[in-house]
Amino acid sequence: MNTGQIISGAGHLALIGWALFGGAFRSDPPPFEVVEAMAISAEDYAAILAASTAPEAVASIDTPAPPAPGENAPALASGADTAPAQSQPAANAAPPPDPVPSPPEPVSAPAEVADTAPEVAPPAEDMAAVVPQVSPRPQPRPAPRVAPEPVAPSEPDVRVDDVARPEVAPDAGAVVEETPQEATAPEEAATEIVTEAERPRDPAPTASPRPRARPAAARPAPAPTPAPPTETATAPRPETPRDTPPATDRSAVSDALAAALGQGTPTPERPAGPPLTAGEKDALRVAVQRCWNVGSLSSEALATTVVVTVRMFETSKPDISSIRMLSHSGGSATAAQQAYEAARRAIIRCGNDGFSLPPEKFGQWRDIEMTFNPERMRIK
Amino acid sequence: MMRSLLTLLAALMIWAVPAMAQQGGPLRLEITEGVIEPMPVAVPDFVADTPAAQELARNIARVIAADLTGTGLFREIPAAAHISRITSFESPVQFSDWRAINAQALVTGAVNVDGAGRVVVRFRIHDVFAGQELGQGQQLVGDRDGWRRIAHKVADQVYARITGEGGYFDSRVVFVSESGPKDQRAKRLAIMDYDGANVQFLTDASSIVIAPRFSPTGDRVLYTSYETGFPRIYLLDVTSMGRRALPTLEGTMAFAPRFSPDGRTVLYSLSQGGNTDLYSMDILSGASTRLTTAPSIETAPSYSPDGRQIVFESDRSGTPQLYVMDAGGGEARRISFGAGRYGTPVWSPRGDLVAFTKQSKGRFHIGVMRVDGSEERLLTASFLDEGPTWAPNGRVIMFTRETQGAQGEARLYSVDITGRNLRQVPTPGGASDPSWGPLQN
Repeated sequence: MNTGQIISGAGHLALIGWALFGGAFRSDPPPFEVVEAMAISAEDYAAILAASTAPEAVASIDTPAPPAPGENAPALASGADTAPAQSQPAANAAPPPDPVPSPPEPVSAPAEVADTAPEVAPPAEDMAAVVPQVSPRPQPRPAPRVAPEPVAPSEPDVRVDDVARPEVAPDAGAVVEETPQEATAPEEAATEIVTEAERPRDPAPTASPRPRARPAAARPAPAPTPAPPTETATAPRPETPRDTPPATDRSAVSDALAAALGQGTPTPERPAGPPLTAGEKDALRVAVQRCWNVGSLSSEALATTVVVTVRMFETSKPDISSIRMLSHSGGSATAAQQAYEAARRAIIRCGNDGFSLPPEKFGQWRDIEMTFNPERMRIK
Repeated sequence: MMRSLLTLLAALMIWAVPAMAQQGGPLRLEITEGVIEPMPVAVPDFVADTPAAQELARNIARVIAADLTGTGLFREIPAAAHISRITSFESPVQFSDWRAINAQALVTGAVNVDGAGRVVVRFRIHDVFAGQELGQGQQLVGDRDGWRRIAHKVADQVYARITGEGGYFDSRVVFVSESGPKDQRAKRLAIMDYDGANVQFLTDASSIVIAPRFSPTGDRVLYTSYETGFPRIYLLDVTSMGRRALPTLEGTMAFAPRFSPDGRTVLYSLSQGGNTDLYSMDILSGASTRLTTAPSIETAPSYSPDGRQIVFESDRSGTPQLYVMDAGGGEARRISFGAGRYGTPVWSPRGDLVAFTKQSKGRFHIGVMRVDGSEERLLTASFLDEGPTWAPNGRVIMFTRETQGAQGEARLYSVDITGRNLRQVPTPGGASDPSWGPLQN
């Protein structure tokens, strides 16, 4: 053991001893308040308690002497109490009886009710809502001139030339070639002066007449009123001039005639009209399906889809000569021919009496392209 | 904001494009549903060019109408309903009259018998509603005795022109004609037109014959006979009626023969030592080749139309099922997996289907399936249906149906591959084991 270790051990022991016994771990007590107390006996304590709780008894109280009776007695002003008289509300007087209303003067009823409805004169021209005014087309302003003579052009502005040139006159007898030119167009003129106040109104209609109402159904003749028998000569009823059928009626008649003759009317260019509704398309589809008989087709033809085009007459009948096969898929040319013939038969058979198609939409169904797909009909 | 505008524009385009398409182009419809019903056809009596042809003209028209209506694809409009009368073959047809009775097809023709006794038949096919002729008119010439064949050929042309597939009317069927009680039934080979007419017997009833098979050209017949006590295969020339037995080993049983598509090879089953396997034999040399070696029973082989594959029946899986293998043998592929027993497979002339007999739950069926075994369809059901054979066009199947009981009798029936138009083929007495021959030249 070397010296260093001894010294170190001694030092540590000294340090530990100082820590234990030297008060290194002793802490000072917290400061406290010191109050002086005094010891007393039980009797003293009870006396102290009694003095602090019970008030001191009063020996005597000075009270005034009561007045003697009859001495300076106040005179009573009021007499004996009486019950107050309660004032009752005055009863309302009975209301005067209501005056008996005088019965209204009977309105004189019409003597008899006519069975015939009153004749209502139809409006001569039932006008619908006024069409909003649109900006009229510009029209040439009438020139406020009467005479058609052209006006001589105004003199051009005279200007002093910067360069003085000698006068050059054409040789006498020289031929001057003049290029032909059109004569000046006369200024636009009218036959009379028209002022704005006198300007004619816009020729465009500002209101559209409603369609004419259907003629009233024939009403039963009113019961004949007994009348004195008089011999009257029956005047011949004047023949009412037959109304000329409107153009649409004439067209319908001609269409019906063409349909009856098995002919179609030519198909002029017309507005297409609104597209066919799904229901209208379905009706056409069902009509063709009803006649599409694939029972006699070969297996290969039943696997062939053909696209067929057909042009329709306005009578909703197909133009047989226009039926063509546009394309086919899924089979040979022979099978496609059989499938096409079956499709053509379907169109012709069920179109023989005309398909149910809206005539106002003729432009939409004038040309029809039908795809005949027998996939669902095929034998699996 | 910009995104919302783009979305709105896209929506407008989606809405507007179809409308614009309809506005500018034709109205477009897709027809996917139709009807399946016989086509009304009118076959008025053909015009007789000579008084001698009067009866022929009428009979030919009747056979044509019977052929067409027998398919189930056509319905004849009776003559009593006809408005127009065809009095001249060259006169234009009044289509409106035929349209009025809803005739969709019209067959007109004329018959003449020339000085040599030959029958000349001209005919035309008309599409009534289109108001035009279908194809061009044709003319057929034949012997007077062969007037039925002429009529069948006309019907074949009409059928092919309207349906788009070949006809089968001018064809013959070889079958086993049966007579007598069930326990002593006499069987003879017979041949007839497809419709049961012109029956001719090829063998007598001295021995039992079964399973006749037409050659691809229709001039020869293979069949199995028990005249030696053991089943043996014979080759019969239909024209000369000459026959010969195909070579086989002693003590073996050969049966279920079938021609190859080229007519040079015969497939058959050979039973030897309790095992039945498939063999092929070259007809000229008589040399046989063994195709299967399994310990199970392999029988009823049938070539594919191209001759490259064979479909046959085998019980190697425990029950009779259908298998396909190469024509030279090798590994077989099972194609039938339904419940029941499958047998007598026959490859369709079109090559797309296999007809078979199926026994299931005590009933027999004739069915078809694709060559891979898919899309199995049962066409018939009865006490006993078996032995299917295909018409030359692959559209109709003929088979044997036998009724139950001691008085039960076998008859021939035909059915469309759709399962419709089941008809009995008229035969003199009982008939079984039909084999449909090719179209005649």
